[in-house]
Amino acid sequence: MLTGTGRRNGAVALVLVCAMLLSLVLALSIGPTTIPVSSFVPSDLSSALSALLSGENAAPFFPDATAYLIVYSVRLPRVLAALLVGAGLAAAGTAMQGLFRNSMADPYIIGTSSGAALGAAVAIVFLGGMFLPVFAFVGATGATFLVYALATRNGRAPVETLLLTGVALSMFFSAILSFLMYSAGKSLHQIVYWMMGGFWTVGWGDIYLSLLIIAGCFILIVYAKDLNVLSLGEEDAVHLGVNVETFKRILLFVSSFITGIAVAIAGSIGFIGLITPHVMRLVVGPDHRVLFPTAMVAGGIFLLWADTITRTFLGDMPVGVITAFVGAPFFVFLLRRRSKV
Amino acid sequence: MIRTDRLAAGYGAEDIIRDICLDAAEGEFIGIIGPNGSGKTTLIKAMSRVLAARTGAVTIEGRLLEDYDPKELARTLGVVPQETSVRFSYTVKDIVMMGRFPHHTRFSRESPEDYRVVEEAMAVTGIAHLAGRPVTDISGGERQRVIIARALAQQPRFLLLDEATAHLDINHQVEILSIIRALGAGVTKIGVFHDLNLASAYCDRIILMAGGEVRAIGTPEAVLTRENLREHYGIDALIQTHPVTGRPMVLPLEGTARRSSSSTGSPATPSKRVHLVCGGGSGAGLMYRLSASGYEVTTGILCDGDSDTCTASALGMNVLCIPPFSPIGPAETAALREMVAAADVTVLTAMPVGPGNLANLEVLCEQETTPVMIYIPEGGEFTDYTDGRLDAVLRCIEEKGAVRVARPKDLLSSF
Repeated sequence: MLTGTGRRNGAVALVLVCAMLLSLVLALSIGPTTIPVSSFVPSDLSSALSALLSGENAAPFFPDATAYLIVYSVRLPRVLAALLVGAGLAAAGTAMQGLFRNSMADPYIIGTSSGAALGAAVAIVFLGGMFLPVFAFVGATGATFLVYALATRNGRAPVETLLLTGVALSMFFSAILSFLMYSAGKSLHQIVYWMMGGFWTVGWGDIYLSLLIIAGCFILIVYAKDLNVLSLGEEDAVHLGVNVETFKRILLFVSSFITGIAVAIAGSIGFIGLITPHVMRLVVGPDHRVLFPTAMVAGGIFLLWADTITRTFLGDMPVGVITAFVGAPFFVFLLRRRSKV
Repeated sequence: MIRTDRLAAGYGAEDIIRDICLDAAEGEFIGIIGPNGSGKTTLIKAMSRVLAARTGAVTIEGRLLEDYDPKELARTLGVVPQETSVRFSYTVKDIVMMGRFPHHTRFSRESPEDYRVVEEAMAVTGIAHLAGRPVTDISGGERQRVIIARALAQQPRFLLLDEATAHLDINHQVEILSIIRALGAGVTKIGVFHDLNLASAYCDRIILMAGGEVRAIGTPEAVLTRENLREHYGIDALIQTHPVTGRPMVLPLEGTARRSSSSTGSPATPSKRVHLVCGGGSGAGLMYRLSASGYEVTTGILCDGDSDTCTASALGMNVLCIPPFSPIGPAETAALREMVAAADVTVLTAMPVGPGNLANLEVLCEQETTPVMIYIPEGGEFTDYTDGRLDAVLRCIEEKGAVRVARPKDLLSSF
């Protein structure tokens, strides 16, 4: 039985990785101008690589210099950012659903998104948008710290209290945000744009930043077995030898760190962190050792395609619009199909 | 050995349990009983470190509970909680395998030993056939057995059970408790029980809790007494000995504890006195009915060891007794005459009559002071072992005005 499941999940993982690689190549090719895959490949691979490594311009080694510029300077960072942000949100969503034992939880559930939005709005209104990613990151992680601190009594922070405190704090932040938006005047449009999320301004600098998402995801995968036990409930986890309070702290802060980076890069994109873990749990089962990596890859692919569609066909509409527009009906479809079985 | 020393714990500002001192010797099976809200579950939580001790301490094998590393504690102490709701569709085998979590380091994978222990735990609890099923799809009773299997997979030396079998059918209750008891001297077991008779049947010692404190501690015989049940559960109950296991058995009596304030039931006339002539269990039901309705009941002549004798003495009645299988002598007959004369009414129940107890009926036939009623419930009859002498005596009693009644209600209303 177990080997059967193992083999099936292995196949799922293989399909996902292949789909990711294929999506990556296709997404580089597709865009307002379609670029044939053949022009990605340098005519002289070794000198192109050595030029890249020594920091020189590798363009001369490619068949088409314009195509090189579009693919490697514009599209590649954007594609990689979409993959990493999608993966990060999916991983953080998986962690939150496991912690709260609720497949309705998402990375933003404990005030992360409203904290980030508040931070971004402060940067936009008072600093003209300077340091916006920093403010968004600080808002996201700061909100989590605050929720945790408020929910803790006698060294314990029960998940129910965390959840409720998160909801309360979200509302409080939203109120301040609404006030800022109300009094923002011309920059209101900018705040709204940021909140819907998108990859318009992504460059290579963001990619180096988003490598931190991978580091965070790695920590989550290392703790996957503990999360399995914790997802049975806090008391059961105590009985089975999980250091529950410490582990919850790790889980919350790593997740909010990942989410904070994702939000700093692309704004608060919704639905990825909710639907991906849910769908992948239906496919590979609830074991977080399998669920984390597969949900990450699936979340990356999902966000990559949502972004490719918007920049190719929809005049760069905020990608958050697409994820929710496609994701919500799909989610309902899944729920209805599942309840029939 | 696991012990608690003046342990107090609770939620919020209030202590739910206080001053709990107990110790379990190696391999012992201890049952915790007590009415709802007496702090049984809180005690289990405090002993398993889910709840921190306010004052006092829990020690396991001489070490303070707080000093255990989480995984080390889980390898030492297994807990089966009252109810576990699993939200995600882990398979049964996945859940039982989580019992091996405390035996793993962070990066170790499941070893053949882990699989062996898990298979064994599933076989012992009778869930091997469910191994691949999602735990969200099985029944509540099956799920509880999965959780018990998970605790067994931890291979603990101490096992805490919080009403672990309360949701199971009687066959599974007995099966699981037998398995737990059969864990033997290597595992010390402490379990909360709702069912007093199960606690009595399986536990070496019983702890009675009420109001957050330990009220009694000792063998089932010492703790399951009529006085303890009346004081802490507020019920009146017969305590009898299980005919096979010899353990005490609790038979609750309906409504008797509220006798004094009873406004329901038959209109009782407390001053009335009833004498019951019965035997072989024919009078037990009536005794309870009558005493519950407030009558003062006497009974006899009965043999020691007759089930009616046991019931009557358990209910605290005045019983006229002779040694088993001995004839009724003139002294007893005189005593019976006095008792019958003192009663307002005498009830004779349908029962087997032989030379040994015919004298009872003859006394009723001879006397004329007290009215007699003959109680023959549906399906009951007088069985004659006297070569026909019974008929004559019965006819004599009836000729003196005795009436036959078939229902206890009619009996009571005619008094």
